Amino acid sequence: MKKNLEVVGKSVIRVDGFSKVTGKATYSQDLTMDNMLWGKTLRSTKPHANIKLNLTKAEVIPGVVRILTYKDVPHNHHGVVFKDHEVLSSGRVRSIGTPIAFVVAETEKIAVEAMKAIEVEYQELEAVFDPVEAMKEDAPKVHENGNLLYHYKLRLGDVDAAFKECAVIVENQYKTSMVDHAFLQPEAGIAYLEEDMVVVCAATQYPHFDQLEIAEALEVPTEKVKVLNPAVGGAFGGREDITMQIHLALASKLTGRPVKTVYSREESFVAHSKRHPMIMSYKTGADKNGKLIAMEAKIVGDTGAYASWAINVLRKAGVHATGPYEIPNVKVDSYAVYTNNPFAGAMRGFGATQTPIGHEQQMDMLAEKLNMNPLEIRFLNALKKGSKTATGQILEESFPLKECLEVLEKAFKKDAKGVE
Amino acid sequence: MDIKNVFQAKDVPEAINLLDQYGEAAKVIAGGTDIIIALRENHVKVSVLVDISSIKELKEIKTSDDWVEMGAAVTFTEVMDYFKGHKEYSGLIEAASLVGSPQIRNAATIGGNICNASPAADFVPPLLALDAVLTVEGKEGKREVRLEDFLLDKGRVDLNKGELLTTIKFIRLRKGQTVTFSKLGLRKALAISRLSTAVYLEIDDDEKCAEVRVASGSIGKHGLRERVAEESLKGKNLDKAAIDEASKVLSNEVEKRLAGRSSCEFKKDAVEGIFLKAVEKAMVHNGDGSYCAMGTQYYPRAAGKE
Amino acid sequence: MKTINVKINGENYTREINEDMRLLDFIRDELKLYGTKEGCGEGECGACTVIMDGVTVNSCMVMAFQANNKEILTIEGMEDEKGLHPIQQAFLDEGAVQCGFCIPGMVLSAKALLDKNPKPSRKEIKEGISGNLCRCTGYNKIVDSIEKASQYLEGEDQ
Repeated sequence: MKKNLEVVGKSVIRVDGFSKVTGKATYSQDLTMDNMLWGKTLRSTKPHANIKLNLTKAEVIPGVVRILTYKDVPHNHHGVVFKDHEVLSSGRVRSIGTPIAFVVAETEKIAVEAMKAIEVEYQELEAVFDPVEAMKEDAPKVHENGNLLYHYKLRLGDVDAAFKECAVIVENQYKTSMVDHAFLQPEAGIAYLEEDMVVVCAATQYPHFDQLEIAEALEVPTEKVKVLNPAVGGAFGGREDITMQIHLALASKLTGRPVKTVYSREESFVAHSKRHPMIMSYKTGADKNGKLIAMEAKIVGDTGAYASWAINVLRKAGVHATGPYEIPNVKVDSYAVYTNNPFAGAMRGFGATQTPIGHEQQMDMLAEKLNMNPLEIRFLNALKKGSKTATGQILEESFPLKECLEVLEKAFKKDAKGVE
Repeated sequence: MDIKNVFQAKDVPEAINLLDQYGEAAKVIAGGTDIIIALRENHVKVSVLVDISSIKELKEIKTSDDWVEMGAAVTFTEVMDYFKGHKEYSGLIEAASLVGSPQIRNAATIGGNICNASPAADFVPPLLALDAVLTVEGKEGKREVRLEDFLLDKGRVDLNKGELLTTIKFIRLRKGQTVTFSKLGLRKALAISRLSTAVYLEIDDDEKCAEVRVASGSIGKHGLRERVAEESLKGKNLDKAAIDEASKVLSNEVEKRLAGRSSCEFKKDAVEGIFLKAVEKAMVHNGDGSYCAMGTQYYPRAAGKE
Repeated sequence: MKTINVKINGENYTREINEDMRLLDFIRDELKLYGTKEGCGEGECGACTVIMDGVTVNSCMVMAFQANNKEILTIEGMEDEKGLHPIQQAFLDEGAVQCGFCIPGMVLSAKALLDKNPKPSRKEIKEGISGNLCRCTGYNKIVDSIEKASQYLEGEDQ
């Protein structure tokens, strides 16, 4: 059969490879149009505050065409799951970087000058930066309905009884940090009108969803919005949430001219999501042979000021909390919590990346306590084809963890020889 | 950035005239790797730039019988190429090679590294250890100043209005003399130094330390000579006890200097290791056999594996 | 305004420029050569790498007026009448390209390296591209392709 396949199993030249090695691939910052305006986003410099704007000085700068605020946005909400982002802040900012106004001017220089000339009066509010603190009753509320966004529970067997049976128990807390995708191409985009249709070209992971969100915010039918996705310079989850798309569409619609904006690296850092920092408390127990009997985990994920994908990410973290091991008694609680930190969302692994920091160190420490080889304890407990995970899923397809461990084993042996 | 006038000076007199004419409004640009960022972030506010990177006489390195003289606009890549293969100058090569990235080393100049007077400037410690002498030229003529005296404060050097740093020179190294460098950064490339030390060592025929100069980076307002460590080593047989003693003395000095700073706990310990590495490199390069052995015997990891 | 003469990809340009313009802006906004990218604006990422008078520089850290009377090569100058440069071909063949944003700078750093050192070790290749960040690939395929490019170029010479 294989010899009939033309692509599967073969190394092929990627379709956009030629344009990329020659520098001809077009990214959104490479697009320019006649009669084009430049946009700049004014962003909050405080993590939690009520704001008042004074545009007087900015508006009179020659070359400023328009300054958009929340008043210009027909439907001032967006978000991939919950619509808890405002397109432009209507009075309260919940994190550093929250967009406040979008300045549209004849040149980029003028747009920057006008952005700096906008006076923002911040009335600072008490802020919360620690998700564990944020879960407390009396913590400052980031959103009206409280800071606990989501609680995922996983229960299998009876962990309390099982821990009593354990020969060894290891209990520790692990913390992971906030991480930026740092995709190499900072956000950039341009919007223009084709008769009564708004066209937005921007590097995005969700052109179809962007179309929906732009249409909703502008209160126009989706067929009046077209989203084009030119070459994208990396994303890794960081381009799933809207950044500039609605600003550009609105600016173009209101001015009737093409509008372009390019973020600096600094602005890129505050504009898009981050990997969720997690605080993971793990308790893992095994019998005297190293067979895992019980595991309990509490995972608190900091989603910052906005929900983005927090529910999905913390669910995934909870589901993956056991690692690739078969454990008969499991109790997991994972939480997504609002704080005034930069918002967290999708990033490579989507919640499954953080938990190995916890469960794998637990395995190493169990092995150490039992005086076992760290690989051996993993072989012993590894999920395999036919195993049932803690969530009840039967692994019917391949599950080649054993093969992975064997490769590791070989590499370790080779390494050990190298030292000799 | 609000630049109104720019000049590509062809020779030193032209550059000096321009600097004199525009005074406070003007700033020298060479490699541009620091000043362009500072201008864009409005940390530096000048309206005139005088580019010296095309002045030929500032781009030469010359070795005479007694001196090695480098023009201020020599780039780090040019330093690496010039001293390549000369192990006695390994501290200069290594410090240059640890600046930024290839692109930055191709543009950034040694004069810029000195005149920015950053505490973390990589090239300053080895030049301090070589007791380098600078030539500064202005309308009134030339003057010479020791690098150590030239550095006044963080970001401040002894340059008067209209003056330009033109050359950096030091006494040519002879047999038994070497300069070495060791740096702690957060990653391999593009890492700003967290801590660095350079050591100049001269070993006499009795295998005793005839002369030693120690300099550090990132543990003071600017690169500094560490005289307590020097005093501790001078005249001694360079055995493990003597070197350990000197590193302890240096560590105590750093602890005193950084008292109350969050980095103190880390740096007072780290400096011992960084200093030790620089000394070991010096002994390995210098030694006539026995010192090499001594180095390898006590510190097996350092033996020529760098 | 200031007048500068620059030779870019073999062609002479005389242009009036703003004094505060960076070489990167000159290349992109004045000459419309959009292959040179801006990733950070402060010399960390190398996406704006060009070759100036034979050595790589970050064009975001060179003022345009400093390029007066200099000779510059950008990614657009890598191809010739025969087609792709062997380095570009090697990047294609090895699958070293993903998002592509680092590639113009990466190719030019590879060229500068191979011009100076035609048969670099893997360690020397890694040092040669240490000023160019790639966030997609983990660099292995890029290092592979520079090794391959070295072979292609050797073959060409013979």
